[in-house]
Amino acid sequence: MTARRTVAGRIAARLGTSLLVLWGAVTVAFAALHLTPGDVADVLIGDSTVTPEVRAQIVREYGLDRPVPVQYLTYLGRVLHGDLGRSYQLHESVGEAIGSQIGPSIQLALTAFALAATVSVTVATLTAKRRRWVRGLFSGLELVGVSVPSFWAGILLLTLFSFTLGLFPVTGGLALPAVALAVPVIAVLTQVLREGLEIALDEPFVLTARSRGMGDLAVRVRHALRHALLPTVTLAGWLVGVLFGGAVIVEQVFSRPGIGRLTLAAVAGKDLPVVMGVVLVSAALYVVVNILLDVLYVVIDPRLRSAS
Amino acid sequence: MHNRSPLGLVIPVAGLLALSACGGTQAARAPQGGAPVKGGTLTFAVNTEPTCLDPHQSPQDVTGLFTRPALDSLVALDAKGTIHPWLATSWKVSGDQKSYTFTLRQGVKFSDGTPFDAAAVKANLDHIVAPATKSQLAASYIEPYTGSDVIDDHTVRVNFSRPYSPFLSALATAYFGMESPASLKQPQDALCKQVVGSGPFVIDAWTPKQGITFHRNRGYNWAPANAAHNGEAYADKLVIKVITENSVRLGALTSGQVDAIASVPPVNVRQVKADPGLAVDVRQAPGGNYNYYPNTASGVFTDRRVRQAFRDGIDFATIVKNLYFGAYQPASSPVSPSTTGYDKGTETQWRYDPAEAGRLLDEAGWTGRDSEGYRTKDGRRLTVRWPFYKAAARENRDTLTEQVQAEAKKIGVDVDVTNPPSIGDFVTAFTKGDYDLVDFSWQRADGDALRNLFSSASISTPTRFGQNAARYSDKEVDGWLSDALDTTDLGRRAELYAKVQHKVTDEAAVFPVYVFNYLLGESKRVHGIGWEPQAYPTFYDAWVVQG
Repeated sequence: MTARRTVAGRIAARLGTSLLVLWGAVTVAFAALHLTPGDVADVLIGDSTVTPEVRAQIVREYGLDRPVPVQYLTYLGRVLHGDLGRSYQLHESVGEAIGSQIGPSIQLALTAFALAATVSVTVATLTAKRRRWVRGLFSGLELVGVSVPSFWAGILLLTLFSFTLGLFPVTGGLALPAVALAVPVIAVLTQVLREGLEIALDEPFVLTARSRGMGDLAVRVRHALRHALLPTVTLAGWLVGVLFGGAVIVEQVFSRPGIGRLTLAAVAGKDLPVVMGVVLVSAALYVVVNILLDVLYVVIDPRLRSAS
Repeated sequence: MHNRSPLGLVIPVAGLLALSACGGTQAARAPQGGAPVKGGTLTFAVNTEPTCLDPHQSPQDVTGLFTRPALDSLVALDAKGTIHPWLATSWKVSGDQKSYTFTLRQGVKFSDGTPFDAAAVKANLDHIVAPATKSQLAASYIEPYTGSDVIDDHTVRVNFSRPYSPFLSALATAYFGMESPASLKQPQDALCKQVVGSGPFVIDAWTPKQGITFHRNRGYNWAPANAAHNGEAYADKLVIKVITENSVRLGALTSGQVDAIASVPPVNVRQVKADPGLAVDVRQAPGGNYNYYPNTASGVFTDRRVRQAFRDGIDFATIVKNLYFGAYQPASSPVSPSTTGYDKGTETQWRYDPAEAGRLLDEAGWTGRDSEGYRTKDGRRLTVRWPFYKAAARENRDTLTEQVQAEAKKIGVDVDVTNPPSIGDFVTAFTKGDYDLVDFSWQRADGDALRNLFSSASISTPTRFGQNAARYSDKEVDGWLSDALDTTDLGRRAELYAKVQHKVTDEAAVFPVYVFNYLLGESKRVHGIGWEPQAYPTFYDAWVVQG
């Protein structure tokens, strides 16, 4: 069996499970809609007012006058065509609502992730297996980082860098929100990375590398780091959750537009079409991230390329 | 806020859960801080944003705030209740009080170039009442409207099925802002995103979750007669930002990143006042105060003595003072002192008197005590059922509720606060009258607010929503309220409204709690921010000292 086929097989399997995940998300959204007390059309309309014509249109579009299995297939069909429904509170389609808010969220999440990755790798590489007080100091900082609520971190950052020093604007900036969102990620990633590095640094191949006269930093970066990265990759699911969950709070504190604000308003206003749309889009996002990670595993770990 | 469709409720939750409504236009203020300076950008930060920008559709006060700079009205209302010319230069009321003929200002243009004329007025009023508009507020303000006649280009007659004196003050609100007829032809959802008017500012863009930006309308020359100046607005640009977090909004003001903010948290009022560069401008909101309404039609509060005991036996004034640090005043009448027709007599009509409350409860037969210390009658505990919809609570009203609950216990009344899971459940209980007590505030500049609150025609039924939460029904009160509709004489109306306030206070058909104040924080660089009578800021007369 060639390496290429293995990779292709892995990806095919992953795609298959991904479809299952997406199908599950659609089904859960559909079930949520039907399990919410009250008439389905009323649940979709939520706290808004609509004319009888619009109500009739909802009944028609969702097939609400037909048996539940037919409704389910109708709904599945609509989602497959990319139709996530309409928000009667926002006066626009769910696709438009999410489309207009997802850009800023992705920008925020990617910036925070890039920041977190850079800081974690640097700190972990420099502090693994170092003197006791160095490790102690950084572990302490990490503990603080993971314990500080994003809300508080955000207010603190704003108070210091915006209200007092005037270095960043209170709204519209990217730097402070990205830092606030990155703090817990940095804390956890650094701990896991350092742990991985310390195990790797005890491996015989490190000794071999050193005996060949390789410098300490080169050993850490070129040999040990790859090993240490593997366990962090498995944290990806948690990471996506933190970045998007954290965005709800960070976007609120920094008055940024984004999916977090949209979700918060939708949940508070019982705007079920938007909530369902967000569930589907985040499921899709998870799936995409997981596929990318599978590819990344192969890049990081050459053993996967040859294993049968 | 929104409402639930199945019941076909029109103003429902709008009125109820505090939305606020009605009023007029800029209350002129004498220029201060030297001669006005033209130019610059004025940035204002608010705590909430509209779900729909079209005031013909939306009942939100923040919709009024966002669109007032861009929309002119036919007339303007000042804080004293006087109507001033705006896009209409004069008007005549017919002898039977059923039609209003307006002479319109000439040479007015909407910002899309469409001329403003009689047909435009008709198009706007017709748009408000059209069923497809699903107006949640404006339409209810001209409920007896039967249509408009275009007499000539600059004369329009508006007809009603019966005399309707609150018409002009309703017309002065942003909810009756004149939009370009060309723009009104768009689908309703598109209007929710963009409105076009003839106001002193033109909307550049509204970005949900961020805010709205305007630029000065060049050539604007049709300000309301009671504005502080005429001609173009002073600021080049007006920016309204949405900053929902209280501490962040406050920080934006104290660090000089915005010029003014809405809703200074009551706890921070003193801090802002102490800052030499900042000021707090307080404006009392007119209309229904934040009140508790006892169900006078069924349950324990059908007995007037029990109602009075609850009102007089709880020290509302002290609770309010402590909770809001003096930022909101304790209320005495169902309507606020800034409402046209407010009766000052209510201030001395009742007072905190726990001894008298105890006596009244004894007299009403609630003489027993159970193991927990609550009063009982025939073995039944004196329990007040109160559906409280927490999700919509503003201004720490939930904390207030808990304190009232604790105070009520002292006079032996068990306040059972239930939290309906959804607004729909709350509305259902409300329209059926399935409660002993409910709470809400409801802003409206006209004394006609009393008709919404106490007219027997305004009692909710499962199919029709009304704000008479006390389910109060009294022939005399109905008569006074109806007489007030027939006369446009302000003095006569005030007299009638005073009678209503006196009687409902006498019968303890309402427990007034606090008067809502709009707390505007502003930098001393900013001058001339005006107020709509329903207490939200206006920016036409405002300017910023640069540098």
